[in-house]
Amino acid sequence: MTFEILSTPVDSAASLLFQRCLAEVDHENRLLNSAMNEVGGYFLNKTDEISLSNNLWDKVLDQAKNVKSHSIIDEEYDPLLDHLPVTLKSHLKINKVKWKSFKDVKVASILPKENNEKLELIHVMPGAKIPQHTHEGNESFLVLHGSYSDEYGSYKQGSVQVRSDDHNHTPVGHAQTGCIGLAYTHGKIKFSGKFGKLLNLIAN
Amino acid sequence: MVTGDNMGKVKNPFVDALKNIAERQDIGSFKKIFDYFGPRLKSFLMKSGADEAIAEEIIQETMTIIWTKADYYDSSVASPSTWIYTIARNKKIDILRKTRKAILEDIDTAILPPLESKADENIEHDQKFEMIAKYLDDLPKDQLDLLKMNFFEEKSHGEIAEITKIPLGTVKSRIRLALEKIRGKLEQDGNMVNLISSNESMVN
Repeated sequence: MTFEILSTPVDSAASLLFQRCLAEVDHENRLLNSAMNEVGGYFLNKTDEISLSNNLWDKVLDQAKNVKSHSIIDEEYDPLLDHLPVTLKSHLKINKVKWKSFKDVKVASILPKENNEKLELIHVMPGAKIPQHTHEGNESFLVLHGSYSDEYGSYKQGSVQVRSDDHNHTPVGHAQTGCIGLAYTHGKIKFSGKFGKLLNLIAN
Repeated sequence: MVTGDNMGKVKNPFVDALKNIAERQDIGSFKKIFDYFGPRLKSFLMKSGADEAIAEEIIQETMTIIWTKADYYDSSVASPSTWIYTIARNKKIDILRKTRKAILEDIDTAILPPLESKADENIEHDQKFEMIAKYLDDLPKDQLDLLKMNFFEEKSHGEIAEITKIPLGTVKSRIRLALEKIRGKLEQDGNMVNLISSNESMVN
């Protein structure tokens, strides 16, 4: 599954960020991702040339001289950041996120919603249970830290689960570590259990 | 001017060019990179869907990143053309989708977290990337074309299957096989292990 995701060309910031995080949390994926970039670099060397506009160099030089390299180091310490891939970490240092709390589960939107695409960071506290729900559209969930389990199995760091709207499950965060994950969704999440209607109103 | 033919035989001149930019903001080296990669990037960007004006805008942004973030380049992790390709690809997504500007600037720096300098081992690393180029050079043309469509023209597996009339499963397995080979070559290098363990200590 990760091979499919990594080798699918992305066309949005959300899918790119998801792909980068996937490449980062797992050794094998990291190497696979480097291999793909090497292929791109190889073709860049081999490709034909298309001449540039005459004034492009002046523009480049002008812009380069006027831009200041901003530091991405921020001294403010948030222990949660330690568990995240570098890509996400540096993104979060610049773009503050607001957490929404649903009892033992915290959700933060990572990027502004665009074309029905969402990228969210989900923090499930140790032992917390997320009410039974299905997914409207597709959701790819990448475990960044800890693990969780549902009716179908348990999922550890670096694994990705792709779920479509006919998938109904009740995830539970690992009793000791809880679970932090990145959810890339096309469409809204739909709760189907006892309190489903109410939760649908809150979550969406 | 550097030609494709002597790229692999001598020490890659762009490794030094990037170093000169990082260490002493050397405009001559910057111009050398612009002259070589600019027209190639334009070709890459236009082949993967950008129009001329947008392609040049992306080149300008890419060059600015090269100028300001050259110190993030690590010759043990990627060849210069791979690093530049990756930055341009990310910038393309950013500009085409007109999402918030800050997002991908941070991802660019995160592609390759800085490691301790291994400048004296550059020749050895060049050999690693040379081996990858050699492997790709020797691939049968129809297989190389699949990789080119996937990672340079940014077509999905489905689109490639449609164009080539090769079954989807075969497209995927051929691309995967080639990537596994390249991954193996990347893995042969001890420094990749260092990178991984530094990454691991971060996520654990």
